[in-house]
Amino acid sequence: MIRLNNVFKRYPGGFDALRDVSFEVGADEMVFITGHSGAGKSTLLKILTLIEHASRGQVVVNNKNVARLPRRRIPHFRREIGVVFQDNKLLHDRTVFDNVALPLVVAGLSHLEIGRRARAALAKVGLLGKEKMYPITLSGGEQQRVGIARAVVNKPALLLADEPTGNLDADMADQIIDLFHDFNQHGVCVVIATHDLRQIQRLRKRVIGLKDGEIIIDSGNQAA
Amino acid sequence: MRSHLLRHLQVLFYSLGELARAPLTAFMTIAVIGITLALPAALYALLGNLQRVGGGWDQGAQISLFLKLDAPRTAAETLAGQIRAMPGVARVRYISPAAALKEFKRLSGFGNTLDLLNSNPLPAVLLVRPTGHAARPRAAQDLARTLGKLPGVAQAQFDLEWVRRLDAILRLAQRGVLILALLLGIAVLLVVGNTIRLAILSRRAEIEVIKLIGGTDAFIRRPFLYAGLFQGLFGGLLAWILVAASLALLAGPVRDLAGLYGSGFELAGLGLRAGAILLLGGAFLGWTGSRLAVGRHLRAIEPG
Repeated sequence: MIRLNNVFKRYPGGFDALRDVSFEVGADEMVFITGHSGAGKSTLLKILTLIEHASRGQVVVNNKNVARLPRRRIPHFRREIGVVFQDNKLLHDRTVFDNVALPLVVAGLSHLEIGRRARAALAKVGLLGKEKMYPITLSGGEQQRVGIARAVVNKPALLLADEPTGNLDADMADQIIDLFHDFNQHGVCVVIATHDLRQIQRLRKRVIGLKDGEIIIDSGNQAA
Repeated sequence: MRSHLLRHLQVLFYSLGELARAPLTAFMTIAVIGITLALPAALYALLGNLQRVGGGWDQGAQISLFLKLDAPRTAAETLAGQIRAMPGVARVRYISPAAALKEFKRLSGFGNTLDLLNSNPLPAVLLVRPTGHAARPRAAQDLARTLGKLPGVAQAQFDLEWVRRLDAILRLAQRGVLILALLLGIAVLLVVGNTIRLAILSRRAEIEVIKLIGGTDAFIRRPFLYAGLFQGLFGGLLAWILVAASLALLAGPVRDLAGLYGSGFELAGLGLRAGAILLLGGAFLGWTGSRLAVGRHLRAIEPG
């Protein structure tokens, strides 16, 4: 699902965010990417979602070499990936339902199909009763679940999450991670960037540790 | 294809709804566009009317032949027949000294004071109307010269100099209106562009999210383009209304003024064609202004 070969990322000014990073993630895996802030977790996710481009090296996501993707194909590439953000990036002037339905509207689905799929996604994260509410009236955990519903509503094969539990207390964090685990059980490849060691120990999944832009640990690199 | 059309319709109504949701902002922009477009449109309508005034006289281009005072009526009739047979002459009308005096009385306002004269000081007049081709200033001038040399004619008068001057002035004014329209058109582009720029910036977060979840540039652009289109269209409509209202307000005084000159001149409105051009032009300017702003600013908003 993901393959990185000798990837470097240098920002203007000479700061190296990633140095010679190589790993592979299989289609059915669940992986935690960990490290202190500034270790390169966010940069890595930005490269996977084509927000940033690698300075050197090869990046293949979802069988597509992202360096060769023309600009106009980027939207279609992103539709096949679900992304969950730490600050959830919900639109606060739209209802929960409209937020979750947005990727489907963008993809140009029919009205009927949009309603069906958005409600299914909301049911999966347990928020079906709150579809008409506005995100601001929900708790932090619920908002994050709306973000997850929006990420999975397109039925992506790959789900990326950047610190999805960063702003949540332990109970809520557990629920969120369990939700990701559940999607992984149903065949979705899940990559979570986090420094929440508790979750890593709880689930005992593969961990890729970054420090100063380099991989220092890769437990159970099954693909290698 | 049908779903594509449907999506465009959805965005179209969504954009209309957006205008309705922020009526004050929308109205301000539309008012600015309307007033900006109304200025050249009003000048255009005014010029059109002035041209009709000039045109009326132009068509009436005629040569007045003042006959010698002692010429008897029969001689005048013969002369008239002679001129009628000349090339380039469409019509000849004989005005007897008595008829001329009567008309002078009516138009000059001297009225009964003229009765104090014991003899009619006015000569007989032949009004010669040239044919279409010969009515052009230069040809008519030549004809007048020829006619002036006929025996029995005291003086041939053809004074279209002022018509030509008016024509030249109108052409100059037309050019001026064109330049003004061009400049104000650019102003409309900038006004719409700026409004759309603000709209884009105020929805920056939304645009970022839509880009992140795979919205194409075309999808993001669409509502802004429709917003620009509607602002321009409604601006054009407002301009039409403003011009029509102004002309309606002027119609009465113009009729009175024309009446004082003994003319039945009526102020003409903008007309359907010019109105349609105003609407379409407004819509086009709105769309283009939005397009320019969107092209510049959407690319700058990238998630990161």
